[in-house]
Amino acid sequence: MTPVLRLLARRLGISLIVLIGVSMLVFGIARVIPGDPARIALGPNASTEQIAKLRASLHLDESIFVQYGHFIKDLSRGDLGISLYTNRPVTTDIAQFLPATLELVLVAGVLMIAIGLPLGIWSARFRGRFADHIIRLVSLLGVSAPSFVWAVILMLLFAYYLPLFPIAGRITDTYTIESITGFLLIDTLIAGNFQAFLNAAWHIVLPAFALALSGIGQAARLTRANMIETWDKPYIEMAQAYGYAPARIANRFAFKPSMIPSLTIIGLDFAAMLGNAFLVEAVFAWPGLSRYGVAVILRKDLNAIIGTVLIISAAFLIVNLIIDLLIAFLNPRIRYSQRDVK
Amino acid sequence: MINWKSLIAAALFASTGTTAAIGETVLRLDEVAVGELDPAKASDYADSILMFNVYDTLVLPTQGGPGHIGHLAESWSGEGNAYTFKLKEGVKFQSGNPLTADDVVFSLDRMKALGAGLSYLFGVVDSAEAVDASTVKFNLSSPYAPFVASLVRLPIVDKNAVMDNLADGEGDMKDWGQEYLSANGAGTGAYTVSSHNPQEETVLAKNADYFLGVGDAAPDTVRLRYGLEAATVRTLIAQGEHDIASQWLPPEVVQALAKDGAQLFTEAGTGAFYFKMNTTKAPLDDANCRLALASAFDYSTAVKMIAINDEISAGSPATGAIPVGMYGSNDASMVIKQDMAKAKEYLAACKYPAADMNIVVSWIAEVPLEERFALLMQSNFTELGIKSEIKKMPWALFAEQVAKPENTPHISQLFVNAVTGDPDTLLYGMYHSSTPGTWQSPEHLNDAQVDEHLEAGRTAASPEERAAAYGKLNARLMEIAPTIYGFDRQSVFAASNRVKAPALTDASQAFGLDGLGFSFRLMEMVE
Repeated sequence: MTPVLRLLARRLGISLIVLIGVSMLVFGIARVIPGDPARIALGPNASTEQIAKLRASLHLDESIFVQYGHFIKDLSRGDLGISLYTNRPVTTDIAQFLPATLELVLVAGVLMIAIGLPLGIWSARFRGRFADHIIRLVSLLGVSAPSFVWAVILMLLFAYYLPLFPIAGRITDTYTIESITGFLLIDTLIAGNFQAFLNAAWHIVLPAFALALSGIGQAARLTRANMIETWDKPYIEMAQAYGYAPARIANRFAFKPSMIPSLTIIGLDFAAMLGNAFLVEAVFAWPGLSRYGVAVILRKDLNAIIGTVLIISAAFLIVNLIIDLLIAFLNPRIRYSQRDVK
Repeated sequence: MINWKSLIAAALFASTGTTAAIGETVLRLDEVAVGELDPAKASDYADSILMFNVYDTLVLPTQGGPGHIGHLAESWSGEGNAYTFKLKEGVKFQSGNPLTADDVVFSLDRMKALGAGLSYLFGVVDSAEAVDASTVKFNLSSPYAPFVASLVRLPIVDKNAVMDNLADGEGDMKDWGQEYLSANGAGTGAYTVSSHNPQEETVLAKNADYFLGVGDAAPDTVRLRYGLEAATVRTLIAQGEHDIASQWLPPEVVQALAKDGAQLFTEAGTGAFYFKMNTTKAPLDDANCRLALASAFDYSTAVKMIAINDEISAGSPATGAIPVGMYGSNDASMVIKQDMAKAKEYLAACKYPAADMNIVVSWIAEVPLEERFALLMQSNFTELGIKSEIKKMPWALFAEQVAKPENTPHISQLFVNAVTGDPDTLLYGMYHSSTPGTWQSPEHLNDAQVDEHLEAGRTAASPEERAAAYGKLNARLMEIAPTIYGFDRQSVFAASNRVKAPALTDASQAFGLDGLGFSFRLMEMVE
């Protein structure tokens, strides 16, 4: 087995154990937080009989171990149960809301990498100069304010005072696009409707920027710090002594090792955006999974809570797996340290 | 001068090719998520809006006055244990199927079988039977005067459409069409369902074949969005991209929108805001103590706190336990006022010394406005020398704790409304001794006279007798003060100037039933 495959197998095994642990933890926590899910679901006017009937149908009158057994049995059939919040299968809800969040997070992730890394490199390159100061200031601003603050500020600036971008939703409601992948940017292209694609892209700009700004700042600061640290290493001095051009030293010798810590943080940021997207989704009325997740937690919708947390956990693990593989690709020492245990 | 902002916006707008269909009018509004489309499960405001537009009921409340008029029903007769309704001829469902008595029977059976939403209203109905194709008879287990009023919550469903779309489930009726009706409409209503996502948006389209017709000026398409943030709604309305905001906007946002020129729609007459006192817990087990607190409360400041402007407020001064306009209510001029002298008199008569009291005033975490009322109350009680403690409680925790008197706080704050517009659905659940321990009844009241008046109100044969029974109930509730009657509730909606809604602006057109004012067929788009 090649070192990379060995690494992949090991990480997949750990991910599976983590997912099982998460399911047990969330299952337990969701049942001990205050509030009767049946009472909340049926609303304030429900009778005692109605509540008892729903509790029985949800197995809430049985022990937590029996309930977990029912959950695992249903999960093995791909059934996450019915959401008490939307009265639909949780899998239907997730299938509907997840692509919107993934699309938003992916675009925000691309912005984070495409803007954050070059800013960090540039800042390190011009260390101590005017451009460096400006970039550090902007990065600090990005990191210090949470996404929802940026969401409101961006909305006020670029949708209210300067009406350049739309305020809410994923696409103007005059467009009817058949959902194939759930990703509007892709579905509009599949439909061959370039105007609709532009419209969807126009809608995603502000929410994606609001979500990405913190990550952009973090990526820029970290990349700058790592680049500066690497720049002081003896092998860089040696490269300078050999007379290599500064740009060549930066690209060939400094950039790659500087990327390893940045990639780890970017990976964590990227996965964390799945959860942090909630308030951005709320402000821009973005019909995503994060908004759904918070709504179901407030309603103590047990099935939906577990389904949403499992999906977000899985996404978190997948992103981390990809980052691990990328780091292994960049750093041979990690790649070749995955040895068989004799 | 060149308006460069508009130029840039126009360029961007043009590049994305956003164009509305020529001549089509679109009404956009919002509500809290989720929108429940299945009419048998409808209970919240958003559900009611959907229900009243996609489905019809046998009767409707008379606009601007008391009583009910036939809607799908041509006429009805009966009292006591049996009511017979004659259906209008020629009414068709959106599917094209004709409306028959079988559909009415099916709708009732389905609602009772599912046992969700407001189905408890029909617990008194033993059965419904189709006498002939256009006549339906309801058999009640006991006389129930508010029965006709309850029918505004029995939407009539297309039986054939549902039976053709049964999904997996137990028994002959399988899932009773729950899966189908949670995503599709099967009513006779003025609007059909174009698309429905319970957390995002429901799109409705005008039903050209509606049996009463729909005016040309009524919106062609309605987009009911769910869960928009206050800041988003404010920006959308300011930019002309939204028409009616939900009633749940913070008063400051409604005030800001009104200042910017938005019109204000209102809906009133079905409920009130109450400060409910736990009558089983010392010192509030003594009526004099309760009367002292009720007299000390600053009612006029409470109403000012919810005012939008000089003319419109989210509530009007209370006159008693029953909101103005309902059977048994006091005249609008008999406003309850703070009276500290009386409060001190009652306190002197109370068997507990003021210095020993520590009143726990709870507020529901999801309703920040209640914290302000709690602070007002704390300040009022301090004037009497009574200590108090403010306790924040999430709704879920509150609903659980009120089940037991010993866990129920001294004072709980609640909005309560009559789901059918009849006082029975407001008062019976709050004050009858058989219904303590629900979210509506944290008073845990057990008073024989109150029970007697409540029973008389729901069994009396004539409106006059009912009014008399509720009048006596109102007087008794003022006498023993299980509750501080804060204010009569009025829902306020900020709206753009592109829409006219007579049922929400003209008292003579108002229905007096939550959500029915949002009958889109009665609205007009101005553009």
